[in-house]
Amino acid sequence: MTTVTFKINGKAASFSGDGDMPLLWHLREDAGLKGTKFGCGIGQCGACTVHINGEAARSCSVPMAALDGTSITTIEGLADGERLHAVQEAWIKEDVAQCGYCQAGQIMAAAAFLKDNPNPTDDDIDSGIDNLCRCGSYYRIRKAIKLAAQNLAGA
Amino acid sequence: MTNHVSRRSFLKSAAGTTALVLSISSTPSVLATDTDNSGNVTPCLRFTEDGQIFVCVPIPDMGQGMITTAAQIIAEELDLDPNQTSIEMMAFQGHADAEGRASEGPMPQGAGGSLSTMMVWGPLRHTAAYARDLFLHAAAIRWSVPLNHLETRNGAVYNKNTKVSLPYKYLVSDTRRADYTVLRGNTTPKAAKDRTLIGRDQRNVHALAIATGQPIFGIDSDIPDMKHAVIRRCPHLNGSLVSYDRDALLALPGVKHVIEIARRPDDLSRPRILPAGLAIIADSFWQAKKAADMAEIEWDGSRAAGESSAALKARMAEHLETGEVADSKEGGDLAKAMAEADKVIEATYYHPHWAHACMEPHNCIADVKADSAEIWTSHQSITESINAAAAATDLPISKITSNVMRCGTGLGRKYAPDFVMEACILSKAIGAPVKVTWTREDEMEQDHVNPSAMYRMRAAVDAKGRLTGWHVRTAADGWIRNAAMEPPMGLVDNYRGEWGYIENNVRRGPWRGPQHNTAAWVIQGFLNEVAIAAGKDPLDFLLDLYSRKDFQKLDTWPFPLLEYERFRKILKAVAKDARYGRRMPDGWGQGIAIYHTFSGTCAHVVEIEMIGDTDYRVHKVTSAIDCGLAVNPLGVRAQVEGGINDGLSAAKYGNFRFEDGVPVTNNFDSYQMMRIGEAPPEINVRIMDFGDEDPRGTGEVALPPLIPALTNAIFAASGKRVRTLPISENL
Repeated sequence: MTTVTFKINGKAASFSGDGDMPLLWHLREDAGLKGTKFGCGIGQCGACTVHINGEAARSCSVPMAALDGTSITTIEGLADGERLHAVQEAWIKEDVAQCGYCQAGQIMAAAAFLKDNPNPTDDDIDSGIDNLCRCGSYYRIRKAIKLAAQNLAGA
Repeated sequence: MTNHVSRRSFLKSAAGTTALVLSISSTPSVLATDTDNSGNVTPCLRFTEDGQIFVCVPIPDMGQGMITTAAQIIAEELDLDPNQTSIEMMAFQGHADAEGRASEGPMPQGAGGSLSTMMVWGPLRHTAAYARDLFLHAAAIRWSVPLNHLETRNGAVYNKNTKVSLPYKYLVSDTRRADYTVLRGNTTPKAAKDRTLIGRDQRNVHALAIATGQPIFGIDSDIPDMKHAVIRRCPHLNGSLVSYDRDALLALPGVKHVIEIARRPDDLSRPRILPAGLAIIADSFWQAKKAADMAEIEWDGSRAAGESSAALKARMAEHLETGEVADSKEGGDLAKAMAEADKVIEATYYHPHWAHACMEPHNCIADVKADSAEIWTSHQSITESINAAAAATDLPISKITSNVMRCGTGLGRKYAPDFVMEACILSKAIGAPVKVTWTREDEMEQDHVNPSAMYRMRAAVDAKGRLTGWHVRTAADGWIRNAAMEPPMGLVDNYRGEWGYIENNVRRGPWRGPQHNTAAWVIQGFLNEVAIAAGKDPLDFLLDLYSRKDFQKLDTWPFPLLEYERFRKILKAVAKDARYGRRMPDGWGQGIAIYHTFSGTCAHVVEIEMIGDTDYRVHKVTSAIDCGLAVNPLGVRAQVEGGINDGLSAAKYGNFRFEDGVPVTNNFDSYQMMRIGEAPPEINVRIMDFGDEDPRGTGEVALPPLIPALTNAIFAASGKRVRTLPISENL
């Protein structure tokens, strides 16, 4: 039995249970936050990307035992109230989503990426983002990342 | 069809408000099952007095854009903002056939064959136009004005004389007074010139929900008191469960039930519908998963023992030499054409199996009771999901309710019944709702992969460099005959197509652009070789070929009539847009290819740069697609862009491998797929306008010609001809 306390989307939360359980399943099944998606379970595809202490992390591969004292942001907590994050706005503007399943992870990855790369080149995107999209929406993802960067710079 | 009042149904809700409900019509004068006042309706459109407009989408959306297209089509006829409609999935509206199986109603309710938009295009427009005319008539009666004083604007009826408008919600009740008998058969969808939405870019109506993580996918569903099942399935391509330690599993935390699932059919000589499995049912997914991982299970995999990808490839090579083949197609005198040829070109092509890797792992919740069952799932076909539940529960289809959610891709795999059957079997066994969630390993190991095949290609060209003979001999482990049946056969007079089938225990199934996805590569790749061997520019060679006839009716499904004037125009357009044939730097190359898939046709020019001798970077893809009327050009371009990237990934990396009868590629570490770092930063898509009044297929059309355009570009850049996929292992 492991007990940890942390924050999810700004709210205090705690967990007592199997410390081996990945954060992904706590979010989806205990916290009712279904936006974070299960894709591979081994940290390869990025569908489950969230922010832990502001950094992108693949929640399928982070055990609950490692989360004490952390602050977690999920796709549901990315917007500032009603005001969407620039990356979410860019995703809608560029009409990125086809099936949409991987896109919460893509958006969370891009939001973290842009903090370190506020003015990304194509090479930066190529090496900094490796989330899988089975619809092949990469062309629009690239455009949306660039649009979000512009909007963040202008904000 | 006789007219009766229940053509429209007014539902009184508990609050006492009225709703106008329209069932879908496949033609203006024929409606589906009428509605009644019990609430047992299969609506297409529902208007409430509080202003909500529900659009019921007939065919699941797996990323092809069906939900957006349906909202767009309905909004066009009703002069609405598509984003102001509420989306629901249409309930099953078919019926039981003579054997009791669910059979399609007024339209198919499954996504496949790139047919979705073509199928809903007529019925949705006519149904929405009918609703619009009901509101116009209702307003004419209410205001006592002639109909021609009225029009619809912004979700309201507008009086052109008084400039007064009345939103539909205030007319819901009044539509009872409309003379629908006059309207019956007399409603007409808007003329093309009057459209404001169709033919214009429409963003995904689920875009906000997706970008904010709303629970809209099947895997996001929960119902009260449900248990979670993780299933260990027979890892062998074909086999059965021998033994396991039930007590040890039941002692693990949270585990409530351990249930055996028998292989279906039980005859191991027939392809599996459902693999043998052992289900661990627990309070949470993680408890079930952890217990399943710990289970020590003995399987009998002897039936497929010794089978491997490498051995299958060797069997194909042998089969091409000595195996039994059936003539698929023959014409003219091939032997004479070969004997008289100035040049005979020969080559052997091979492609391995591809996995689907559906982004959303398969899942289903089933709540099976003694006399009814309800399921929640991501499935490509509402109809087939019901058949799967019926097969697993032995209930009549009338007792089954299927809630099909947004699908995180389908790609052909989510048409299968297995994951629905599993949930139903388990729920029935424990008498409580069960959610089955597949892991990625399950999804790949139990995939119904794209068939593998080897091809011996032979072509004859005359002294002028024109194609005079064409011979395709195929050894395949699936029903993939298109390469041995399609043009240039018929464009050249002398041809033969042969096909031999190789049985094995790999489960094969439809994969985006079935048959076409590999036939296009083999045909357009080899044509490129032949053109170069004949001393011709590949584009000129294709234009010559497609100038030999104006039309050709194909004898492969869906039996399209190819219009070669369109092929020529598509090729010329894509070549112009890509500046095809311009001088490229050393190590760079352009490749061109065209192919028809189902009812659509697409051509690409791919531009690549070699990276060393064994890798390459795709810099740009230029495309032209003929999809008939492009209802949503933004969505069409998305499908082309996606098809390009899916094709690039499959061609470079796609290789589902098995050894000693067991799949060894079972997650994204062992089954590699392309990421953004290898995706082209520039894609230009031209949508051809041939003046069509109706849409054609789109979703699967762009992928097939992408692969030959890529390998042709690699040849242009490096002189290396890729005849074996995946490229990453064969360059």
